[in-house]
Amino acid sequence: MKKSLVYLDKEDIKSSIELLEAVNRIYPDGGYETYAFCVNGLSDAAMGKFDYVICVEHEGIREHDVRNLTNCLEEAHRAYHFDSILIPATYRGRMLAPRVAMRLGVGLVADVTDVSCKHGEVELIRPAFSGKLFAAVVTNRKKPMMMSVRPNVFTYTPGAVKDTEIISFRPDNVQPARLRLTERIEAEKAQDIRESKILISGGGGTAAHFDMLYSLAEALGGMVSASRRIVDSGIAPRSIQVGLSGKTVSPKLYIALGIYGSVQHMEGLKNVESIISVNTNRNAPICSVSDIVVEGDSQEFIKKMVQKINDEKIKHRGAEA
Amino acid sequence: MKIVCLIKFVPDLDNFTYDYERNVLVRENAKLVLNPDDACALAFALDLKAKRPETVVEIVAMAPGSVLPLVEDLLRRKADRATIISDRLFAGSDTYATSKIIASYLKKTGYDLILTGTRSVDGDTSHVPSQIAELLDLEQLSHIVKIHEVSPDGDTAIVDADTERCLERYEIELPCILSLSSESKYKLPYVRYRDLKLDVRDRITVLDNEALGVPESETGLKGSMTRVKRTFTAAPVQEKKRIVVGTDEKGIETVYQFLKYKGFV
Repeated sequence: MKKSLVYLDKEDIKSSIELLEAVNRIYPDGGYETYAFCVNGLSDAAMGKFDYVICVEHEGIREHDVRNLTNCLEEAHRAYHFDSILIPATYRGRMLAPRVAMRLGVGLVADVTDVSCKHGEVELIRPAFSGKLFAAVVTNRKKPMMMSVRPNVFTYTPGAVKDTEIISFRPDNVQPARLRLTERIEAEKAQDIRESKILISGGGGTAAHFDMLYSLAEALGGMVSASRRIVDSGIAPRSIQVGLSGKTVSPKLYIALGIYGSVQHMEGLKNVESIISVNTNRNAPICSVSDIVVEGDSQEFIKKMVQKINDEKIKHRGAEA
Repeated sequence: MKIVCLIKFVPDLDNFTYDYERNVLVRENAKLVLNPDDACALAFALDLKAKRPETVVEIVAMAPGSVLPLVEDLLRRKADRATIISDRLFAGSDTYATSKIIASYLKKTGYDLILTGTRSVDGDTSHVPSQIAELLDLEQLSHIVKIHEVSPDGDTAIVDADTERCLERYEIELPCILSLSSESKYKLPYVRYRDLKLDVRDRITVLDNEALGVPESETGLKGSMTRVKRTFTAAPVQEKKRIVVGTDEKGIETVYQFLKYKGFV
């Protein structure tokens, strides 16, 4: 029986649990057990989905204390001998995974977006060169196989509810932390484009009037996102960038304004239900995957569309009254 | 106080080509540039040195000898010295082997603080800073957007890290590794006009593995735990049946009816 460990990052429990789908692809023939790794507090979301949940309880360990988390994961591995360890490529996961791999003396593949298993060899797919191409990476056969997995890429469909066994784990090797988290500032940052059902996204064609996108986002109750062109020109922050070097998003509606639709941008769109593109070039690649292509100027489109939506709202309210 | 800046030279992303027939990157013509995040790390160090002249800034890069002119340019911006780690044995090293090679040098040299970028635009794994921290048993933080304070006695630093969800402020003991993000907006100083042709070669040391003494089995492809089996570009996406309209009244109406039908308005 293979044993696979998934690290649960409290900052992104949903993406952490979806790593179960990646585990599933490593072992397509089944025959594996899944372990979740939780620090200070059991995650209810893991119950029924994993075979085991390892709960680490120790007052000396905090979630930002990557050195001690590394100690902990090492101890857990020495006790259970995992065949694979998967860590979500979140802010902390991206610092934790390389340390654990070095500690255990094994390879690590970063930011995996796909897993395939051919003739018993597992290929881990990841973007490279800012998403201009993909690399299929194999690790030497040293155990455990380790990877960090890009959040929001795998979709896990829960099967039968599992009878999850909780293992409380008290680590021995806990060192005094040499860093202290003194403040958390939840600014506008708290808004995450990955959580929006509607995204109004701007590309190079909107550089001169990018702020207008917010009016359309407001009218539709969505959020604004951007392509790499816009982010690289300093018009929008990287946190709202869609694409391989930005975020993978799955909104129900994606309105692409002045976006050309490079391969790396399209790879950032996963399971998008409807796409409307507004572009002066009807042959831009994004147009070929759109439900509706509006050929024309995005500035004009935004003005008219916002007007239309607001007019209809007033009409509707009038009818109700 | 001695600051070591770990930097990487990467192919200029806007100017590289992909050979679709042979399925390989054309690296030959690719111009190398300083990785943007790493430039911010060095910029911060040089800024601190300008304020506290007793600070010593050493640049460390694992790179082929062809980067020498680029390193000279950085030294003319008032970095004290540079060490280039370069050996044919190191070619093909993955992040695991690379971290071991660089850490073996850092163990020999002294440091009070190590600055790096968070991610490189080519590999984009962010492994090396964390793995070097593991080998040197140091704390490490990524995505730093601001360094508020480095205490003059070299005890602690106060930094802000952008976790994407929020901004976190840390007090961290030195020595440690701070990995900056290009969103920190620290900018490299210009080269002074009179320094444009300054001879800085005596401030560069090129170290090969004879000097470092990393076991050969731990370098290059042999020392690597991962291997790129193949590279490919994304598969073309499936085309949809689409409606093409303009921005006239009819076009806006079509879009509106679509949004209504789908329940978005």
